[in-house]
Amino acid sequence: MSHRRGTYPGIVVAFTMLLAAVAPVSAQPPVKITLWHAMGGARYDAITKDIAAGFNKANPNYVLEPLFTGSYAETVTKAIAAIRAGNPPHIVQVFEVGTQTMLDSGAIIPVTEMVKPGEIDFDDYIAPILNYYKVGGKLYSMPFNSSTAIIYYNKEVFQKAGLDPGKPPATFKDVEEMGRKIVASGAARAAITFGWPSWMLEQSHALANRLYADHDNGRNGRATKVRFNESFGVDVLSRWKRWADEKLLAYGGREYAPNKAFLAGEVAMLMQSTSQVTTIEKAAKFSVGTGFLPRIEGQPAGKSVIGGASFWVLKGKGRTPQEIDAVVKFFKFVAEPQETAKWHEETGYFPATKTAVALLTKQGWFAGHPNHETAFKQIQEGPDTPATRGVLLGNFVQIRNITDTAIEKALSGKLSPKAALDEGAAEANKLLDEYNRINK
Amino acid sequence: MEGRFPNRVLPYVLLLPSVAVVLVFLVVPSIEALRLSLFEVSPFTGRETFVGLGNFRELLGSDVYRHSLSVTLVFATAVVASGMSLALGLAVLASQPLRGLGIYRVAILWPYALSPAVAGTIWALLFDPSTGPVTVLIRALTGASPNWMMSGGYALSVTVVAAAWKMLGFNVVFFLAGLQAVPAEFREAAQVDGAGAARVFWRITFPILSPVTFFLFVMNSLYAFFEVFGLIDVMTQGGPGGATDLLIYRLYQDAFVSARWGIGSAQSILLFVMVGVLTLLQFRFAGRRVFYG
Repeated sequence: MSHRRGTYPGIVVAFTMLLAAVAPVSAQPPVKITLWHAMGGARYDAITKDIAAGFNKANPNYVLEPLFTGSYAETVTKAIAAIRAGNPPHIVQVFEVGTQTMLDSGAIIPVTEMVKPGEIDFDDYIAPILNYYKVGGKLYSMPFNSSTAIIYYNKEVFQKAGLDPGKPPATFKDVEEMGRKIVASGAARAAITFGWPSWMLEQSHALANRLYADHDNGRNGRATKVRFNESFGVDVLSRWKRWADEKLLAYGGREYAPNKAFLAGEVAMLMQSTSQVTTIEKAAKFSVGTGFLPRIEGQPAGKSVIGGASFWVLKGKGRTPQEIDAVVKFFKFVAEPQETAKWHEETGYFPATKTAVALLTKQGWFAGHPNHETAFKQIQEGPDTPATRGVLLGNFVQIRNITDTAIEKALSGKLSPKAALDEGAAEANKLLDEYNRINK
Repeated sequence: MEGRFPNRVLPYVLLLPSVAVVLVFLVVPSIEALRLSLFEVSPFTGRETFVGLGNFRELLGSDVYRHSLSVTLVFATAVVASGMSLALGLAVLASQPLRGLGIYRVAILWPYALSPAVAGTIWALLFDPSTGPVTVLIRALTGASPNWMMSGGYALSVTVVAAAWKMLGFNVVFFLAGLQAVPAEFREAAQVDGAGAARVFWRITFPILSPVTFFLFVMNSLYAFFEVFGLIDVMTQGGPGGATDLLIYRLYQDAFVSARWGIGSAQSILLFVMVGVLTLLQFRFAGRRVFYG
């Protein structure tokens, strides 16, 4: 029951050397770069067949080798191990929660420092997306699969319950009023469910322009205390708890597990990542509507937060200028409007550049797929403030787990919303202390 | 046995591979874990700061860790007790002369051949709060709609069932082998003396089975402590609200998800000591009652 740190990379190194020894010697071997990613399921094909294979075909001098390294959290862990073993991949896909960790790793090359001015037109990127990956005005990672959360709803259930199927709830109050009608009419067993509970709590804060952690959400110096246990956070969780008590909310687990209840027609509404748009539309046997994420009423205007992941470039022993060139070429390829548009169509992740959006509009994509446009409209509303740029925390993966636990304790009635969030915040703050102490 | 090995070196050479494996994958990492448990480690630079017993103090003083410990004890007791008693019952049935016995035996055995991920997925689908057949059945029968994503007690019960089921085949095989070793004359003699089936079982069969029972008791305890990570990761991820946050899962979270290697190592040492003590106690108290014939 111990960690065999270094053993696995060691085997990989040995194996690679063996392969290198038997490989035929050619005059100009193509420059090889590796990409570790966390895109499973339908997205696996999109990243390997379309993006990686497409890049290799267009650039015969370069070979990009994509490697699926498990979930987002596992990919970060593996990257850390590889960095320590001195054998990291060139590019690693890291989710938004890993941002602070990557920033402090000392093992990355910021995108700003690699890309020569004018080589990639970052002004073409949609501001709220780009802003998430900028810290102190500097762009650290390459935007790739950005998402946010929206509400999905079952139009047929809405109709059966006597509601307007063209009008999703905009506020928590709407959710409650519509939800009661849905459940009372028997159109569905429950009104609402959501994935990523702690992310939804973060979203609620940003939608009301509230800070989730101190030091401007960790964007103006490291965060030292979370603020989700202040009265606003307690309000949000108390509302969820009321939904659960009234049997409006059927909590269904932490990530994508709740999709099942929605797709089965058991639950009328689902708050979930936009990365699921394509999957949900394909799997649903009913007409799916989408709308902006409902917010707590009577609060200042905010904006929904960006999630998903981006590409980080890792330093490594013996990185050649050619390899860095290859990485930049790959980023240029990813930023091309056709590639960005195709990636969006296949997954539902944002088309991250204005040119790609213009291309999709010209092709009539949004007219035919209005649900793919909802999130895009949503992030263009609201102010750009530290509270809406998304929170950066050290040890964020574990803090998300802690917050999930707190939310579940409150929803199941084990603790009051206030007590659960206080307990979670105390534990999260302890982790932040430790993180800031270790990573000076 | 002397003189069987003419070559004095050969036995050691033959032993070498196993010893090397044990050294590389068991002894060295254990020593490394013991060392790391006294440090706080920076994940990227690898810089180690000596903290003495600080990691252990933090763990033992932490509500989360103590909660995890109590959940683990409940879980392990339930898995061992339910898994073994069910297995014994099934083994007794499967040792009767029945038509199609082979099919029953294979059916009982196959869960053991499944990977924890597959087993976890099967149970997660069965108990899915919206579409799971078990949920639908319960709803049809009682009107209640249990949600193990929300109810901690229910979630713990489902994981216990899954874990016990996964180990069932292993247990049944050993019990079956044990039952076949019970001499028929003993039972016949008891029957001639007028003992009923229950009396024969408890007075004759069960005592003769005791070495097997004890062996399985130890194995199942080890299983419940160390080998359920896959099931938990697939089914509940320690949730809801920490209700299935077993020690082994907590260790994984701290060491591998958060890269807190110092405190993770301290947990592995604590877990090792706990199971070591448990096994010693088992040998001391239960071991005495074992009848080896």
